[in-house]
Amino acid sequence: MGMNERVQLQQGDLWRDVRPGEVILEARGITKRFPGVVANDHIDFEIRAGEIHAILGENGAGKTTLMNILFGLLQPDEGEIYLRGRRVQFRSPLDAIQMGIGMVHQHRKLIPAHTVIENILLGHPQAGSVLNLKQAEEKVAALAERYGFKVDLRARVWQLSEGEKQAVEILKALYRGARILILDEPTSALTPPETERLLEAVQAMAQDELGIVPFITHKLPIVLAISDRVTVLRQGRVVARMATREATEQLLAQKMVGREVLFRLQKPDVTPGEPVIQVENLAARNDKGHLALDGVSFTIREGEILGIAGVSGNGQHELAEVLAGLRPVEQGRILFAGQDITHLPILDRWRLGIGYIPAERIDVGSIGDFSLIENVLMNYYFDEGFVRQGIIDYDKAYRLTERLIVEYNVATPSPRVKARYLSGGNLQKLILARVLSRKPRLIIANLPTQALDVGATEFVRNKLLAAKAQGAAILLISEDLDEIMSLSDWIAPIYEGRLMGMLPAAEAKKETVGAMMAGLQQEAYAS
Amino acid sequence: MTVAGYEMKLERRVTLAGWQAALIALLAIGVALAAFSVLFILAGASPLTAYREIFRYAFFNRYGSLLTLNRFIFLALATFAFVIPFRAGLWNIGMTGQMYVGALAAFGVLYAFGGKQPGSANLNPYVVIPLMVIAAAVGGAITGAVAGFLKGKWDVNEIVVTMMLNFMAFWLVSHMIKEGGPFMNPGGRGESFEVPPSVRGPLIGNVPFTIVFALGLALLLEWLFAKTKLGYQIRAYGHSPKAARYAGIVPERISILVFVVGGAIAGLAGYHYFAAVPGVYKISRDYAYFGDLAFYGIICGLIARGNAIAALPVALLFGGLSIGGRFVQGKLGLGFGIDYALLGVLMITLVAFQFFYRYRFAWNRSE
Ligand SMILES: Nc1ncnc2c1ncn2[C@@H]1O[C@H](COP(=O)(O)OP(=O)(O)OP(=O)(O)O)[C@@H](O)[C@H]1O
Ligand SMILES: [Mg+2]
Repeated sequence: MGMNERVQLQQGDLWRDVRPGEVILEARGITKRFPGVVANDHIDFEIRAGEIHAILGENGAGKTTLMNILFGLLQPDEGEIYLRGRRVQFRSPLDAIQMGIGMVHQHRKLIPAHTVIENILLGHPQAGSVLNLKQAEEKVAALAERYGFKVDLRARVWQLSEGEKQAVEILKALYRGARILILDEPTSALTPPETERLLEAVQAMAQDELGIVPFITHKLPIVLAISDRVTVLRQGRVVARMATREATEQLLAQKMVGREVLFRLQKPDVTPGEPVIQVENLAARNDKGHLALDGVSFTIREGEILGIAGVSGNGQHELAEVLAGLRPVEQGRILFAGQDITHLPILDRWRLGIGYIPAERIDVGSIGDFSLIENVLMNYYFDEGFVRQGIIDYDKAYRLTERLIVEYNVATPSPRVKARYLSGGNLQKLILARVLSRKPRLIIANLPTQALDVGATEFVRNKLLAAKAQGAAILLISEDLDEIMSLSDWIAPIYEGRLMGMLPAAEAKKETVGAMMAGLQQEAYAS
Repeated sequence: MTVAGYEMKLERRVTLAGWQAALIALLAIGVALAAFSVLFILAGASPLTAYREIFRYAFFNRYGSLLTLNRFIFLALATFAFVIPFRAGLWNIGMTGQMYVGALAAFGVLYAFGGKQPGSANLNPYVVIPLMVIAAAVGGAITGAVAGFLKGKWDVNEIVVTMMLNFMAFWLVSHMIKEGGPFMNPGGRGESFEVPPSVRGPLIGNVPFTIVFALGLALLLEWLFAKTKLGYQIRAYGHSPKAARYAGIVPERISILVFVVGGAIAGLAGYHYFAAVPGVYKISRDYAYFGDLAFYGIICGLIARGNAIAALPVALLFGGLSIGGRFVQGKLGLGFGIDYALLGVLMITLVAFQFFYRYRFAWNRSE
């Protein structure tokens, strides 16, 4: 396609008279190869106006790659894209945006120091010519109102919660005239109420004849609840496409994985041993300087899992960081196997046998430009078994990485590829593999199964249980109540920096835990 | 854009192999030289002749090639001073100041041994020369440490600090060597006293022994980065301070360390030029010229993408062009400053071509 044609394809005539159910985007034979993998293998795919089209697939199946191609971030090796019957080629996301495609990445791309409205206007094609702030604000406010997003347009982005930031990104895409909205794992960073609000907004947008493509790796109930159509990818190929009303959770899981998924945990029977970690009256501040933890006390013994149930932002994140040594303690103490580690440096904690699985897999848990081997070394570069006289045994690290890749089923052509080329779920698996392979005596697992597909989730939960069986103490942080209930021995709901109680998991009821997470009631079970 | 039935488009690169980076650099050098010929033509000289003269003198002439090697050593060391912090994600643009302080420290050793007195011809080289080298490294290291410490401890911007230290060191040198300064040349002339013949940097062939530092450090540094725990920590911190901290790496320590080592090597560059290059052997009046030259360590380091071994050919080229440029300027009677103008154009082109590290052209047959 030449320059001229591109100019003619202005949005105005492209999107005239869209009928509900009409195919607005068609991709034919999309193929994308990376060194050692075919990420997309002749994928055919349609988006219809007014439909929510979910894309499912295991970690590494090629979902992100396909969406990046539709959004112009990647160019396909083969295949064509048609927008309302006309062939288009996107050289960059700018082309895609201009033709009415919007994408909200899993990773936020906003500028924290700017206000919401500035962020929305930033990079708008007409930002220079019509910087009529008032008019723009009215328009954005109308969009927000229509779809039920509650954000203060004058607030600075750093003050917003994850859900609000995501709303801003959606508004930004809509304000730029998106008629097709691609949402990259939209619910993974959201709290349950935020998820609910997002899903309502998504449904309202679909009513307005937008084509919407969320892709949701493992939250099958959501797929079933809101989508109209499902496409399942496996190893780069479309293995199933169906109307959602014909699908069931079991069927989708089976299509994704290629075998039956049992959703079964082998919960071992372990008698708790000595206390591994004792936390007494702990207080700590968050990044903004507010008290994020206040008077937190608990003990975890060998072979015990303590589940911290709570809505994100109630201090559980800070708790994990304080235990790992990344955040200073304001007050209180931490004992590890009887030793006071309240002010112990991070590295010494790793050496003592504390293993931390951070929630931020890209920013904290891995180094994108490092190979998988070097990423595994993040938890081994100080280990006597891997370093002699200051020289790292890279061959040994290679062998370990290879072993972890096989054991955890990390999809990658080689241990030498950079971590940034792993799909989200596969990166998470690598981090888990690395930390758990040290056989820590205390495992701090912050959202350990985020971004994992159903098969991998089941695998990782079993790994945690196996560690418990071997006597590890585990602090499990999760927003997924089912995960907490099915793994933990004790459950401590957290609300505004305080533990609301300590419930034995065997007797805890979901409703009780849910109520305590909301700060409603303080149960006084003995611990 | 469509050319002869083929459509050309820009694509973001997924990977960039070492040889591709090298090819891009070579292409950029070609383009820069072609662009610079315009200046030769304007000055009434044939570009071909000019370039032939430049390269012949810089790399094949007996005298010229020795001058080139002296500059190469200097530039290589200045580049390493940039590269080490760069691998940790920090910007050392203070190699000039560190180099000055290193030179002053080396001359301080001489001064302490009475090297300023005319009758001091019989200083013991086995004692004095090593001490001068060590003093130069320590002087540079301390200068560097200031920036590293401030960055590590209070997150003070290292670019600003190293810049300010450059100015301070410049005036310090001036104070020491000018009329009345302790290092003043007995004959005045605004330069330092001379290094007594017995303790001048020894030569290997006709080349200062400091070439061993340049070549040896390139290998040593790349080995350090590739194989050692320390190198791993520096690189990890350079790619992601947050992830490095998670892994137990202490940011303050890395920041101080890289500036100490980088500064030490810059100090060696100062020792090299003012105490080991034949025909200099003093802190000369035009020391600021070499201060400016040290800045090219930044450019060499960026072009070599932080790789100390890849920096060697780049430093050699830059050293050669600055010598050859000076030479044709005199020989063809051109205006002043051809050498720096040439380096400048080269620098801008190479930096502009870094674009192709991230993007490439793809050709498709259009329908
Ligand atoms: N830029 C790249 N370079 C090399 N390989 C890549 C690149 N991007 C993706 N891949 C590979 O392509 C495959 C598909 O990756 P993709 O990110 O599309 O998976 P995904 O379905 O989104 O998985 P997840 O659910 O884990 O996010 C993976 O094997 C991945 O390693
Ligand atoms: Mg993905």
